[in-house]
Amino acid sequence: MMFHYLLRRLFLLSFVFVALTVFAFSLGYLFPGDVLGNFTGLRNISPAEEIVLRQQLGLDQSYWQQYIYFNQRILDGNWALSFSSQQNVLDEIINVMPATLELASYALLLSLIVGIPLGIVAAVRKDKWLDKLISGFALVGYSIPIFWWALLLIMVFSLTLGWLPTSGRLSVLYEIPAHSGFMLPDILLSNVPYREEALFDAIRHLLLPSLVLATYPTTVMIRFTRESMLDVLEQNYIKTARAKGLTRLQVLYTHGLRNALLPVTRQVGLQFSTLITLAMITEVIFSWPGIGRWLIDSIYQRNFPAIQGGLLVVSSLVIAVNMFTEILHTLLNPLARKF
Amino acid sequence: MKKLRLYYEEHNKGPFKLLWKHFTQQHFAFFGFITLLLLLLLAVLTPFLTPHDPYLQNSQLLLVPPSWQNSGLVSYPLGTDDLGRDLMSRLMLGTSYTFGLAILAVLGSLIVGVILGALSGMSKGVKSSIFNHLLDLALTIPSLLLAIVIVAVLGPGLMNTIWAIMLALLPQFVHGVRNAIQQQLKQDYVTAYRLDGASQRQLLLFVIFPNIWEQLVLMFTMALSTAVLDIAALGFLSIGAQSPTAEWGSMIADSLDSIYLAPWTVALPGLMIFVTVLAVNLVGDGIRVAMKKRREN
Repeated sequence: MMFHYLLRRLFLLSFVFVALTVFAFSLGYLFPGDVLGNFTGLRNISPAEEIVLRQQLGLDQSYWQQYIYFNQRILDGNWALSFSSQQNVLDEIINVMPATLELASYALLLSLIVGIPLGIVAAVRKDKWLDKLISGFALVGYSIPIFWWALLLIMVFSLTLGWLPTSGRLSVLYEIPAHSGFMLPDILLSNVPYREEALFDAIRHLLLPSLVLATYPTTVMIRFTRESMLDVLEQNYIKTARAKGLTRLQVLYTHGLRNALLPVTRQVGLQFSTLITLAMITEVIFSWPGIGRWLIDSIYQRNFPAIQGGLLVVSSLVIAVNMFTEILHTLLNPLARKF
Repeated sequence: MKKLRLYYEEHNKGPFKLLWKHFTQQHFAFFGFITLLLLLLLAVLTPFLTPHDPYLQNSQLLLVPPSWQNSGLVSYPLGTDDLGRDLMSRLMLGTSYTFGLAILAVLGSLIVGVILGALSGMSKGVKSSIFNHLLDLALTIPSLLLAIVIVAVLGPGLMNTIWAIMLALLPQFVHGVRNAIQQQLKQDYVTAYRLDGASQRQLLLFVIFPNIWEQLVLMFTMALSTAVLDIAALGFLSIGAQSPTAEWGSMIADSLDSIYLAPWTVALPGLMIFVTVLAVNLVGDGIRVAMKKRREN
């Protein structure tokens, strides 16, 4: 049964990927400028080269054939060149992606660690002052525009107090050889004499951006966990458990939490798309060298191959995370299984 | 005067009245509702209300602080920006850009969403399945990325990003409307109407829609807060509204250089966005709680 379910998910996944590549392919025609330039990323194409390239891309053949060639290039890693740097877009994305993933994963972790317990506390103390306080904070964090919040924090912690740096991932004083592209593991793995100082510096750089980025998902987690917990606490099996003589804590742990946290796994996947959007804005403000800033720069430079490549990679990532959390949710929750 | 009652009569309030009663009992939500009404009024009437021309540059009055500070002027209550434009007038005009356009975008998206959602909700089988999967794809593309792609195709500008926002909001409406309709289709009274010989169209218009409109309002408020934040964020990144436009997000981006000298030029537009979104969210939460209370009673 489970196998059947996974097969269907896989079919759906491939369908979504086909639609995504069709969309990305059509952008080559939709973007302003020359189709040949959009697909290859080459700037000054001589007439002799043009004939060869047209042959390679199959531009004189049907759209269907061109789409197949496009997919072959994607799979071979033979992506278009960036207009601004004349490097393979895929290589550039692989360079900037870890910075975004690192930032987003710390923010997500922070939101789970802070958001879920607060949501549970708010649900248990429903309509008491603690619940009102937590819900009020959650509503404020939910409504605050992220770029303004980031500017406020920069004004307080960087400009006025001077505690934290405003931009970048690491001070230029330290040079860390890149292994994975993730800053903290890289520093820990490196063999430089200033390892501890560099680690401390990296954490100071990381603090403000991850705090800013975590604000919105944390409030979503608080609100969602609270709602989900309240729903569960109204169920009859909770009353039964209380009637059996279990203490409140026991009921909460064995019956409440397990059922209330199930929908939260799904929510993580649904929030991932928002998280990436917010990460892009955060990166621009804190000059964080991730894919968000890279994409925003690409739009300023009208760098169409980069936008096309970024769309493919970011969307694939979001789709993959969505699919993963959904499968996880189905595995954990028997009620969600509709085989 | 109280109505004279000769005999005992059970008095039931209509569903809307009940909802309104539960809504007004929540003071914060009601306060948010009043704020929204005021903002809406401001967005419509702003051309007649602005004390100064929002785009008039006055080189004599650069970075005048708000009037509560010693060097402020009474005729410029919230001060001026780095080009000597009256900040209050610009903030008022910004209401119609950021908030007004957000409402229009969400309304447009909602109408298309209701039509598509109704089509999808009333149909079954392969057609509906393919449609849903296409929607899932659209749901996964982050809204900012979609806006970037659309701006790359159409060029930067406020109106182009509005299309992007409408497109990004659409899938959640279609999903929401579809789920609401399918929930209604399971109800007994819908079956009863069907047995009476109501056609699909009659079922939709006279039976289902009157029962799901509150959910539509709820979806509307949730999308409205997203739309306001998105318009402002795109303006801030100068992908959306361009520099002289008095859109709150782009006003913040314009004033970033003078954040040290004149913090109010950054703080006040941000505060407007925050208050607007907070009011929308208060109303949304209020409606949700009111609907829940009505169901429980």
